[in-house]
Amino acid sequence: MNSAIEITDLNWKAGKSFALKDVSLRVPVGSIYGFLGPNGSGKTSTIRTFMGMTKPNSGRISVLGMSVPDELPRILGRVGYVPERPHVYPALTVGEQVKYHASFFKLWDPGWANELMDRLDVDPDRKIARMSKGETGKLLLLLALSQRPDLLVLDEPTDGLDPVVRRDVLTAVLDYVGETGATVFISSHLVHELERICDWVGVMDHGELVAEMPMHRFKNGIKKIRLEDAPEAAAEAPFRILSRSRTNGRVASETWIVRGWEDPMRMYFNGVGATVRDVVDLDLEEGFVELLRASRPSNPQGR
Amino acid sequence: MYQPMLALHWKQVRFGLIPFVVAAFALPLLAVQGLGSSIAMMDADAYRRALTFNQGLLVFFPALAASIGCVLALSSWNWDHQQKHVYALSLPIARWRYAALKMGAGAVIALVPTIAFGIGCLAATASVELPAGLHAYPVQLTVRFFLATLMAYSILFALAAGTMRTTIGVFTAAFLLLLLSGPLNHFLVQMDPMREHVHVVEWVATRIVESPGPLQIFVGNWSLIDV
Repeated sequence: MNSAIEITDLNWKAGKSFALKDVSLRVPVGSIYGFLGPNGSGKTSTIRTFMGMTKPNSGRISVLGMSVPDELPRILGRVGYVPERPHVYPALTVGEQVKYHASFFKLWDPGWANELMDRLDVDPDRKIARMSKGETGKLLLLLALSQRPDLLVLDEPTDGLDPVVRRDVLTAVLDYVGETGATVFISSHLVHELERICDWVGVMDHGELVAEMPMHRFKNGIKKIRLEDAPEAAAEAPFRILSRSRTNGRVASETWIVRGWEDPMRMYFNGVGATVRDVVDLDLEEGFVELLRASRPSNPQGR
Repeated sequence: MYQPMLALHWKQVRFGLIPFVVAAFALPLLAVQGLGSSIAMMDADAYRRALTFNQGLLVFFPALAASIGCVLALSSWNWDHQQKHVYALSLPIARWRYAALKMGAGAVIALVPTIAFGIGCLAATASVELPAGLHAYPVQLTVRFFLATLMAYSILFALAAGTMRTTIGVFTAAFLLLLLSGPLNHFLVQMDPMREHVHVVEWVATRIVESPGPLQIFVGNWSLIDV
């Protein structure tokens, strides 16, 4: 098994307004896979589909080498899931919720659960209905980690949390991964947060996976290039142009955002009579924004 | 797995159940209110006449059982529905098994108001001295109450467990049956004028409510004291 999650040609339609279209993605075993996308892009729908919560119209899904939905209970026994919205029962206390959750998982580790309770500072006697968003977030992570999962699926786990809790949550995840080598699938629209921890990245927009690659390629491959005497047409360019714009009102001075850039590609500009003034690295957030701009149908350079 | 689920359901429903438990205990006592022990001097007919006023309260017994079934069924799924079943669906358990455990938890909780009802019935029958020819049926009535609660619970549990689409489907089918029963009846008579006049809704209702229909238990004999 090379992939913890493998999705092929997934299609799913929710009413008339939204659909997942031909989504194919592969999460390597042992990786931390960042699943990026703006709100409403289909991240949660994709997660719910591969978790077997919604039935796809077509496509194949395998999680931890097992087929969804045929072997769902076995799969879910090895997956720790933190959903987008807290789902724990407000009528229970933390201790009761932990006991309830534990009863479903064969691999549940009570010692580890108690340790996490101390580390994350979660009070077992506290009533869930009275917990803050940060406390609930920590409880959800505790539940997901205590079952000793091979795959952690985190859907916007730090959304709305304060920086201290966010750091606690991410630290607990990284410690667990460091200790067990588990795979993590983490969705977020907070790009800078994933930049630090992920080694793979997938980008969703309007129900489609618009990019999937190792993080280092994503970060290094998207550049901002300042040019003089830029050519009108660039059909032969060895990289993909995400956008181009004129700068400082000078007719022939342009800024290009390109994807798939490597330094020897400067030769291309020599060949078309343009001069490269400078090549600037974009951080993940800028690269993400440019990639989304380029992938949207209104952009003539896109696709 | 079952025990934590029972504890969860109990914690979710316990406060909502309190008025029903009180009512289950009090209703049998109200049903014999005013009869006292001196009534033992009367003959059976006079006693039955005295009971007539109190018989009006008997209609509340099945109504109470149905209400308790309804509360238990809705409380079973309420939070899951609100969360779009995300938590339940993320648990490593077959869906039918999860639903069966939930159903079992509610059925056991139904014993709480049933016990209150049973105690109420026993207290009520102990408070009156029955004339010859009449008998009290506290245990039988309690069993009937429990079965009626379970029946209401099961039907509503099944409805509540389904998606909104299923629920709409069931109610649409019932509505269509009501709407089309007139024309259908007319058509049947046209086809066979010698045919006995059969009204479709009436036919369906009879099959459901009369023995051995599932709702027969609600319309049967709910007397605490009878011959």
